[in-house]
Amino acid sequence: MTSIFYWSIAGTATGLILVGLWGILTRRHILRTALAFTLADTGINLLLVWTGFLPGRAAPIIDSTVETAVVTSTVVDPLPQALVLTSIVIGVAVAALFVVVAVLTSKQTGTADVRRMKELKW
Amino acid sequence: MIRTLTGLIIVLVLGAVAASIIPDMQMNSYLSHAGEYYASNGVNDTGATNLVTAVIVAYRGLDTLGEVVVLFCAATAVVLILTLFPVGIKPSEPSRIVALTAKILPAPIILFAVYLIAHSQISPGGGFPGGAVIASVFLLVMLGSSSVPSGSERLPAVESLAGLTFGLLGFWGVLSVSQFLNNTFLGIGTPGNLISAGLIPFISLAIGAKVASEFSGVFRVFRNTGEKI
Repeated sequence: MTSIFYWSIAGTATGLILVGLWGILTRRHILRTALAFTLADTGINLLLVWTGFLPGRAAPIIDSTVETAVVTSTVVDPLPQALVLTSIVIGVAVAALFVVVAVLTSKQTGTADVRRMKELKW
Repeated sequence: MIRTLTGLIIVLVLGAVAASIIPDMQMNSYLSHAGEYYASNGVNDTGATNLVTAVIVAYRGLDTLGEVVVLFCAATAVVLILTLFPVGIKPSEPSRIVALTAKILPAPIILFAVYLIAHSQISPGGGFPGGAVIASVFLLVMLGSSSVPSGSERLPAVESLAGLTFGLLGFWGVLSVSQFLNNTFLGIGTPGNLISAGLIPFISLAIGAKVASEFSGVFRVFRNTGEKI
């Protein structure tokens, strides 16, 4: 039971990354590209959290209900969670910058279709 | 057509690679080396019972300072671009539901955000989520009225002050015990109490204020229609 739950998280994370990549490669509207980018971002964060997840263990908060002597075998890994918190915040900032540049570019070129943005081609 | 086919091939190949790698990541029954150290010594070292906060603010505080700088750069770029080239979204009149929600909800949501920031060392939460929640209140108020909230032109000052506070708290450690961002020289108190864990509550407060004012400033500049704001 735990195993199904465990592997379904990994599957969801991988799926999100692949769907995001698919969107970045094939969508033409620039805001959909931005949306696909944030989907892939979410998938990467989920996969990172999953690497620190150990089935059946508690959140890494050491309160009075956690025995200090056996703490390393009762809580999940706090390190990936701390990394992902950083990653989420940076992801939001990058997404905001992405959207602003996308809106500005589509305003200047008069189209939101990336195929018609000739200035970006070489 | 070719575009779709190429995309499909790339995604399928990468999916196959992922499917072959991920099942080999066996279910570990032990923590990583760093994680094991944090779990065993985190409470004694920092006084924070929330180990994630202990890692972010105390053990890897310098990285968090760097992260705040990255966030500052991105927000500055957004504000700079939108100030130079206004997108000019004309605000429409808010619906009654949004207008009413924007009057009722801000106080309880801000209370929740203050709880998240103040309890960062003992329960889930912290400066980043708390600040983001406060920024969402700013967005709600902005959507509920047809003008930018008054007084929001002072947001950059709050942001600079919060960033400066973070840096100065770090230098306090240099002056006291010759270690940048040391958080234990004031004593760590009783782990689990609201006032505990040395400098962590103050750093969380600085981060919360900075994130809140930064995101609010970004939301605010989206309303820039080219007139003086």
